[in-house]
Amino acid sequence: MTSIILTSSDGVDLTVERTVAERSVLIKNMLEDLGDSGEAIPIPNVNEAVLKKVIEWCDHHKNDPPTVGDEDDNRRKTTDIDEWDQKFMQVDQEMLFEIILAANYLDIKALLDVGCKTVANMIKGKSPEEIRKTFNIQNDFTPEEEDQIRRENEWAEEYVFSFLPCPY
Amino acid sequence: MEDNAELESFRRQWREEVSRRSKPRDGTRTTAGEAPAPPPTRFPPTRHEASDWKEVEEEDGPPPASFDPDALAQQVEPLSVEGEDGDDFTRRNIKEPSSALEHFERAVEKEAEGSLGDSLQHYRKAYRLDSSVDKTYRNKHYSHVWKKPAEPAPTTPAAPAPTQASAEEEKKLSMPDLIASFAHSPIPRADPMIENTPPPPCPIVNVPSEVLVEILGHVAVRDPATFGRMALVCKRLAYHFAHEQHVWKRVCQSSQFGFQGMHYSFSCDLHGHPTYTLGPRYTPFPENAPLEIPKPMASWSQVFQSFPRIRFTGIYISTVNYTRPGAASFYQNVSWNSPIHIVTYYRYLRFYPDGSVVSLLSTTEPVDVVPHISKENMMAARATFQKHHQRQVSTDPGQSVSGATDPVPPVAMAALKYGLRGRWHLASPVSSPETLSDDQKPAFGAQPLSDPRDLLIETEGVDPKYIYTMHLSLRSPTASRAAPNGAAPPNQSKNTKLIWKGFWSYNKLTDDWAEFGLRNDRAFVFRRVRGWGLD
Repeated sequence: MTSIILTSSDGVDLTVERTVAERSVLIKNMLEDLGDSGEAIPIPNVNEAVLKKVIEWCDHHKNDPPTVGDEDDNRRKTTDIDEWDQKFMQVDQEMLFEIILAANYLDIKALLDVGCKTVANMIKGKSPEEIRKTFNIQNDFTPEEEDQIRRENEWAEEYVFSFLPCPY
Repeated sequence: MEDNAELESFRRQWREEVSRRSKPRDGTRTTAGEAPAPPPTRFPPTRHEASDWKEVEEEDGPPPASFDPDALAQQVEPLSVEGEDGDDFTRRNIKEPSSALEHFERAVEKEAEGSLGDSLQHYRKAYRLDSSVDKTYRNKHYSHVWKKPAEPAPTTPAAPAPTQASAEEEKKLSMPDLIASFAHSPIPRADPMIENTPPPPCPIVNVPSEVLVEILGHVAVRDPATFGRMALVCKRLAYHFAHEQHVWKRVCQSSQFGFQGMHYSFSCDLHGHPTYTLGPRYTPFPENAPLEIPKPMASWSQVFQSFPRIRFTGIYISTVNYTRPGAASFYQNVSWNSPIHIVTYYRYLRFYPDGSVVSLLSTTEPVDVVPHISKENMMAARATFQKHHQRQVSTDPGQSVSGATDPVPPVAMAALKYGLRGRWHLASPVSSPETLSDDQKPAFGAQPLSDPRDLLIETEGVDPKYIYTMHLSLRSPTASRAAPNGAAPPNQSKNTKLIWKGFWSYNKLTDDWAEFGLRNDRAFVFRRVRGWGLD
C-alpha cells in the first residue's frame, strides 16, 4: 500500500494512500505521467481544510467501483443521496461550494455529483426570492426584464393556482 | 307588475350585450373596447341569465383568435406579481370582500370575466349574508338607469389597454436578444445587511458555468417548476436556463415528470395491481437510443411543453354548474319568481405514474377534499365506512374505530369513500392490437384512439358489475392564449385541460354498453397541488 504526499494551497503536506488519492482523475493521471517519484504533488487550488474533507470522502469511497459512462448516467438520474454522503455534506455553504469546486478541479465526478445534488435540494421548491436569499444573490433584473422572463417561462410553473397545505 | 316589465327590459339588454360581446370585434372597434378588465356589466344579472350566458360561451367552443376583452382579462389576470390571488378554491380570497354587497360586486365582476364558478361562490355568500343584496346592488349602481332604461349601454373605452399591448409587443421581439445580453453577467452578490460591514458570504459566485449547469440539471429533474423559477433569480441563471437544452432533454426522459412516466397501454388492472407484458413498453423518448426532436418542435423545452403529457403533481378538476327549475312557492303564483336551483358538483381525477388513477365525483368543494385525494386515503375511507357500517349492524362495543390519529378531516373522508380506482393510458402512436385485447374485459366498441392527445380511463363502477370508461382528450387552456394575436400572450402551460369525448359504463354480467349523458359536464382543468410529486 503505497502512500503519496499532497501539498495544499496553503503549503501543508498531507500523506494519502495512493488508491484513495486516485479517486481524483487529475491526481491519477498525474501519477501515471510522473511515475512514482515520491515527490509531493502540489494541489494549488485547494486549501488544507477542504483537501482534508475531500480526502475523507475519497477514503470512505475508495472501494466504490470505478465509474463508467453508463453508470454515470444512472447515478445522475437518481435524485437521492446516500446517507453517509448526506451527513458528509452537512457543512456550511462556503465549505459546500469549496468542496464542489475542489471536486471539479480534482475531477472527482461522484463527489461533484453529490455536491450538486445537495445544492439542488437546497433550491427545490423555492421561489426566486427564496433562492436569492438562500445564496445571498442580488436581483439584477429590471422590473420589465423580470416580467418578460416570468411571462416567457410561465408554462413551466404549471400552477397559477395551488392548494394550501391542509388547513386543519 | 311594473317591476316585472323593468326586469324584462333589463334582461333584453343584457342579452344584447352578451351577444355583442361574444361576437368577434371588427377592425374599426379593436382599440376602443380593449379594457383589460371589463367594467362591471351594466345590468344586474339574475342567476338564471348568468348560467345561460355561460352555456352560450362554452358551447361556442374556443373564442376566435381575434381580439376579445374577456380573453385579455383572463390572460392578464394570472400575470400580476402576486400571482396566485385568483385562487378560487382556497380560503384566502374570503378576506377581501366582506360585506354582502362587496361579495355581490365581486360576483358580478367574475361573471363578466366568464368565470361562473367564482361568481357563483360570491353570489351564494352574498345572498347568505343578505337575502336582498341584489336590490342593494341595483340601487347603488343602477339607480340612474331606472330613470332612463332605454339608453343602450356603451362600453367605456379604456385608455391604458392599447399602450400596454403595444409595449408588450415591443418587448416580445427582444426576448432572444435580452437573454443573449445576459451571457456574461456574473451572479450578483447581495449587499451587506448593515452598511460598511462585509457582505454576506456568497460562495456561489465562484462556481464555474459547467458546474452551475450541472446544478440546474439536478434541480430540473427534481422539479421542473423550480427550474423555471431559477430563470428569475438573476441574469446569469436566466441565460443558462435558456441555453441548456440537454437539461430539458433529461427532463423529457425522466419518469417523474417526463415521458418515461407516460403509459400508452394499460399497465395495471382496475385495482392498481401491475400487469406485465412480455413485449417492451412503448415510450416516445427511450434512454439508450439516439433521439431526435419530433418534427414540428424546435427544442427539448418545447417538447416538454407541448407533447401530450399527463401530470402527476396535482389534480384535474371538472367543475359542473347546472340549473334546474325548482317548485314555485305556495304563496306566489307569478311565474317570473319561480326559483331556480344552481347545483355545483366536481369531478376529480388524480393520476399516478404507475398507470393507476383515482376518480371521484363529489359535491365536496376542492379546498376540503383535494389535499387528501390519494389511493391510500380512499381505501382507508372505504374501510372506515365499512367498519362503521358493521359496527352499526353488529353493535360490537369492543371494536373502536381508530379515528384519533387520522389526520384526514371527516368531510374529506366522507367524500373519499365514493372514490373509484382505475387505470389510464394515452393513445398509443404505434398501433398494437393487443392494447385492446390483452385484457379479460373487452374495450369499448374497439374504438381506436386516433388523436395522440386522447386519454382512456377505466374505473370501477358504483356496483362491482360495472366498469366505467372515460374517453378524454388533452387540450391547452384557451385557443386565444396559445395563438399569437398581437397581445403578447403569456407562455401558458399546454395540455393542462382534459375535454370529454365520451363516457360509458360497461356491464360485465350482461355485456352491455351504456352511455352517460354529458349534458352538463365540463372539461377538466389541472391544478398543481403543493406537496404532490415532490417527495
